[in-house]
Amino acid sequence: MLKVDGVSYRYRDAASPALQDVSLSIPAGGIYGLLGPNGAGKTTLISILAGLLDAGHGQIALNGQPLAAARAANPRAIALVPQDYAFYPMLTVAENLRFFAGVLGLNGREIKIQSDAAIAFARLEQVVGKRAEQLSGGLRRRLNLAIGLLGQPQWLLLDEPTVGVDPQSRHFLLDAIAALPAAGTSVIYTSHYMEEVEAICQRIAIVDQGRVLAEGALADILSSPEPQVELELDRPLPPDLAERYAATPLGNFKFRLFFRLTVGMTSELPRLLDELATAGCTVKNLNFGQQNLEQVFMNLTQRSLRD
Amino acid sequence: MMPRLLALWLKESIALLRDRHGLIALFIMPTMFILVMTMALRDAFSPGITVDVGYVIVDLDHSSNSQALARRLAKGASFKLQATGTPTPEAARDGVQSGQFALALVLPKGFGSRLLTPAGADGQATEPLTLLVDPALNPALQLAFRNQVMAALGALRADELTQRAGKLFGLPTAPGARPERDWPDEITSVAVRSGKNIKPPSSVQQNVPAWLIFAMFFVVIPISSIFIIERQQGTLQRLRTMGVPFRLLLAGKLLPFFIVNQLQAVVMVLIGLVVVPLFGSEALEMPSGLGLLNWWAVSVAVSLAAVAWALLVASIARTAEQATIVGGVSNILMGAIGGVMVPKFVMPAFMQKLAALSPMAWGLDGFHTVMLRDGSFADLLPNLLPLLAFAAGSLILAAWLNHRTIAAHS
Repeated sequence: MLKVDGVSYRYRDAASPALQDVSLSIPAGGIYGLLGPNGAGKTTLISILAGLLDAGHGQIALNGQPLAAARAANPRAIALVPQDYAFYPMLTVAENLRFFAGVLGLNGREIKIQSDAAIAFARLEQVVGKRAEQLSGGLRRRLNLAIGLLGQPQWLLLDEPTVGVDPQSRHFLLDAIAALPAAGTSVIYTSHYMEEVEAICQRIAIVDQGRVLAEGALADILSSPEPQVELELDRPLPPDLAERYAATPLGNFKFRLFFRLTVGMTSELPRLLDELATAGCTVKNLNFGQQNLEQVFMNLTQRSLRD
Repeated sequence: MMPRLLALWLKESIALLRDRHGLIALFIMPTMFILVMTMALRDAFSPGITVDVGYVIVDLDHSSNSQALARRLAKGASFKLQATGTPTPEAARDGVQSGQFALALVLPKGFGSRLLTPAGADGQATEPLTLLVDPALNPALQLAFRNQVMAALGALRADELTQRAGKLFGLPTAPGARPERDWPDEITSVAVRSGKNIKPPSSVQQNVPAWLIFAMFFVVIPISSIFIIERQQGTLQRLRTMGVPFRLLLAGKLLPFFIVNQLQAVVMVLIGLVVVPLFGSEALEMPSGLGLLNWWAVSVAVSLAAVAWALLVASIARTAEQATIVGGVSNILMGAIGGVMVPKFVMPAFMQKLAALSPMAWGLDGFHTVMLRDGSFADLLPNLLPLLAFAAGSLILAAWLNHRTIAAHS
């Protein structure tokens, strides 16, 4: 369990704090999503957890032990995979892995075992002898991730690990990351891509302007508190139905029409569908009782541009 | 500690071996400089000893005096006597015109018989000596040759006078001995500097240590290119999260580049010993025994200063381009004022004082102390201590700058 309790942080000369009274409980053995717009404070929080910054206020405990003491006792307990390609472009894949395993203090045999394991995990077998600067974006991401796994960390902090890769590499990376908890590594995952977080995270926190806006199990956060139904129709909603169900148009995206309607109970749904059929409206999509993460995120963080 | 340091050393070594530009700056550039500058400055370092300008003597007199003058000039002159047999004045004129030789001295008929007769003393005109010169020849060299002829003439007259006076006063003369004597007129050049008399270095003695120091300081190019990649790509941050302290990172860079510097020293000395003589210059003379250890002590101090300076430049520069410009320009300036490009002993006094500000001058003085003056380790301390202080200062400043950067991000 990684427990963040009332942590605040302000960069030197910054007008407002990067983190304000952030409290999170991150259970081990899963993938925890950290969501937020640019400048929300995600990277600051990750940096504090990785030991790059010292929390100004508040406490962080790893398995009940203060973070600094836990890191000192086991420097390899928490590993960071930064957003940048943090390795040496002039070294080959194998040389990079051996170097980072070496600076972790592993001995010769462990270096070999762990490098091989990392190569197998990230499927880098075909490119071990290739210089990192010659790799494609997807392979660089895989190498960046593989380096993070050297030293078998208990916790892996991933900062936007899929930026700039093609769909195939993204799926591979997501599958690989999803398999990490079973292998004994808990993951904290930050991303802008909602579908990624929905796909692999069991618990999430939504952060904005240094504050936690929502935290909990993904299913709980996505469940709709009100009996609302979202529809995509092939034509505009007839005015009488719109009035009766207190409909709000959700927008007109690429000639597709979305509406949110309020129904009293689940049992009223069949009647609504009958009425729509009678009015000649074809329902192309229906969502009841569950929001998607993007809606929740946009509702919580508002739509204004951040940078 | 040790396996981590080994990993860092290995990484730096591989990165350097793959940095083609860095290797060219470290090894090829100084080799070229040593060869070119040793050749180009071969004569500039020993003024008056040899001048690559040829002359002939057109002897119309064929007397013992005219031949004695020719011998005196050949013996004492710094100019090269061209072997052309016994040319006529016309042939000499053609030779000058065609550039075969730059000077031709015509000794007129009657030169010997009128040697001791002042002009007009007996009512007859004395025909003067004629000097045919290539107008393209440096006027200073023309004057130098004239002066040498005048000096030879003076010596010849003195020989003639003492011989005749000897006969007159019944002084003993060795039968059959040539009348020429070695008058005590030999002059030895001594370069005077900072109150001490030292022999000025030869071209190879100046150029090998000078360009070696210059090349050692060029570790700034590979060091900064790797360091800036590490900083820009977040690798330094990753290493921090892995618990690698900054001092370990510095140590990881110091040793590989120190070894590279020592390798440069071996290569440049070998070039001075083996390659330079192939091009017709004298070979480098290295000290032996304890002197060699002292020489190495200077090399160590220069290397520490160079690597520390490179780390400082890499910490100041934001991009690889900035590092190349700051590092390159500062090296060239240090080399220019420090006596690498222009030897210090030819600089005017105030420039020599300015040279004392350049760490390259401290290193060069150190090498010359060992190579030219057989200096002891104690003699080297005035050069070694400033170099070590410079290295320590640069390292401390580099460490402070990096901590400040980290603090600014936190």
